[in-house]
Amino acid sequence: MDLATATNFIPLNALDVTYLLVVGFIGGLVSGFIGSGGAFVLTPAMMSMGVPGIVAVASNMCHKFPKALVGAIKRAKYGQVDVKLGLVVGASAEAGVLYGAHIQQMIHDSFGDAGSNLYVSLAFVVSLGVIGSYVLWDALKMRRDTGDEPEKVARLARWVQSIHIPGTMVYFKSLNARVSILFTIPLGFATGMLAATIAVGGFIGVPAMHYVLGAPSLMASATELVTAFVMGVGGTLKFSWSGLVDIRLAMIILAGSLFGIQLGAIGTTYVKPHMIKMVMGVIMILVLVSRAIAIPVYLSELELIAPLAPHLPGALRNISFVVLIGALAAGAAIVFASLWSGISASRREAAVATAADVAFAPDTVAAPASPQLSPVGRFERFLLASDGSEYSDGAVREALRMASKCGARVRAVNVVAGGDAELYAMGEQLITKELNAARACLDDVHLLASSAGVAYESEATQGNQVYQEIVGQAEKMQADLIIMGRRGRHGLARLMVGPTTVRVIGHARCNVLVVPRLAKITGRHFVVASDGSRFGDNAAHTAARLAKLYDSPVTVVSVTRPEHSEERRREARQIVNRLISFLKQEGVKVEGTVPHGRPDEMIVKTANEKNADLIIIGSRGRTGLERVLLGNTSERVIDQTQCAVLVVK
Amino acid sequence: MTDPTSHSGGNMITRVAVYGFISLALYFVLYFFEDSILAYTSQGGWYFIAPVVIAFVFSYFHGSFTSHFWDTLGIKAKK
Repeated sequence: MDLATATNFIPLNALDVTYLLVVGFIGGLVSGFIGSGGAFVLTPAMMSMGVPGIVAVASNMCHKFPKALVGAIKRAKYGQVDVKLGLVVGASAEAGVLYGAHIQQMIHDSFGDAGSNLYVSLAFVVSLGVIGSYVLWDALKMRRDTGDEPEKVARLARWVQSIHIPGTMVYFKSLNARVSILFTIPLGFATGMLAATIAVGGFIGVPAMHYVLGAPSLMASATELVTAFVMGVGGTLKFSWSGLVDIRLAMIILAGSLFGIQLGAIGTTYVKPHMIKMVMGVIMILVLVSRAIAIPVYLSELELIAPLAPHLPGALRNISFVVLIGALAAGAAIVFASLWSGISASRREAAVATAADVAFAPDTVAAPASPQLSPVGRFERFLLASDGSEYSDGAVREALRMASKCGARVRAVNVVAGGDAELYAMGEQLITKELNAARACLDDVHLLASSAGVAYESEATQGNQVYQEIVGQAEKMQADLIIMGRRGRHGLARLMVGPTTVRVIGHARCNVLVVPRLAKITGRHFVVASDGSRFGDNAAHTAARLAKLYDSPVTVVSVTRPEHSEERRREARQIVNRLISFLKQEGVKVEGTVPHGRPDEMIVKTANEKNADLIIIGSRGRTGLERVLLGNTSERVIDQTQCAVLVVK
Repeated sequence: MTDPTSHSGGNMITRVAVYGFISLALYFVLYFFEDSILAYTSQGGWYFIAPVVIAFVFSYFHGSFTSHFWDTLGIKAKK
């Protein structure tokens, strides 16, 4: 075919190609991040080059499905994709696309181009106005209230998940619940209709999966890529059957957008969930503004309002297009900024972790005497020990929060005490049931980890002694930190910390963080206790690392007993001054105290006075009896306090 | 596409080079045979499969290239 005589396909010059590559890249970047929303600008962009509208739509569609496929594969590697949910929503979205196109055709036949444009613009303004404002409001609220908290399932989603309609229930892993497909079908249909009308179904699809079905926003945006792939393939087949796809345009845009979508997908691993909503909300509102600007032109053409001045329609259309490009550019700028700050923060963390050992000079504070399995200050590998009960809630929450801050990997274990003959005698079925329940709990944690952007793996296992299994797993993975809960503080349990926790603290060679159910580590105030031993120094070193991470002030405490000599008291003051000097050098806001009394009581009292949210304490005392006493001290502190306690080895 | 993080540095650069070369070659073919490819893919009817196959082939090789490309530059997902 000679291009000069072909009516549908335009010749391309170097400028056109560059333009498409750049717009494709930015579009891909946004799509990789929020699941869709990068393609809406491509159709008008191609039309502005002289490509006929229908060919622009067809070629856009043909680049969208391979792009969505590549993006979905990439994000599936980060554990963010629920393929089943994407396919189920995608199937009903196909029906929505066909119906949406049919409605478009009917309006076009009855009211012409202006009527069709007015319908599209009104669809933009209404849908984006309602959903966009809500998404943006929710993003700002999340950022303000609970920046580090895992996302909560919306009340509507909880209601949807609670409805049981026999014969229609399907389990979705992203929801960790069974939901009736009678809910997913209309959502998919609406997504498809919007895709056929404004080219971005994801503006309904992603919020619907998140707010109505209950998928974490990271997973909703990733799963939308599967839905976009299904819709894209369907649309491409339809247009290609009529020979309308300009494969050159589609592949040139694809060249740019695949660079973008990979980068956008990487970006999702560095941001908190509210950033996905923020980007989506900002783009939706700007696109809304863009379309609203053009509405008077269409109203005037339909003679619903007085005719506009001759120069005005052209000007409004141009402004509208510029705002549309601006919407995409704003989204891309936020993605870039998030990616940049995420990578920089991650590198800074790595640098601090490496530099910390050098900065800890022996003439200031004694360095660790022997190589430890857990080098002091390193927080890269966490072992989360969960028993699935409410007592593990705090441990799960704080493990993910800390991992998210440190960029650490989390391995969660749920150990079923099932190795003994007695339990075996009760039957293999019972153990299997217990293990399945344990796996289900770990899957819940997986969802939270995904939404917090934390690398996560888990294992439900069984063992004779739970503590042995936990300590063994920590050794195997060379964990830097074991994080676990503490049993209740009512009745008999109040008298002692759970035996598993005590034994893990006693036997583990790495640090152990014990988090009561309601304790939250927010960086309000940290208390670090030292007896001057190398374990106390290690505690100070770890405190410096965490205080910087949480931007928390620190109080150093070294307790002397009433029977201690004046020399010992002077030594305690020296210990405190030495640690204060070290922490100040590290840039931490620090103060010190040398109370007299029982160590455990004084440490807890100091923590209460300072309203501390974390106590950091060396695991053993200096020598002989004191070593034993301070060993008991950490257990007593854990037992008496309401806040989290980090036992440093 | 394979997981780029599972390969060593030298291996990674080789992969970027190979996928990049194939990707570039595909775009050169598209450029040099522009007219015939466009004519073939826009016939409609059962030829609808041609653009879809081309899109899949490009997305595989170019997608693998772009994935390894960012990785080689040190822009990797947070672990």
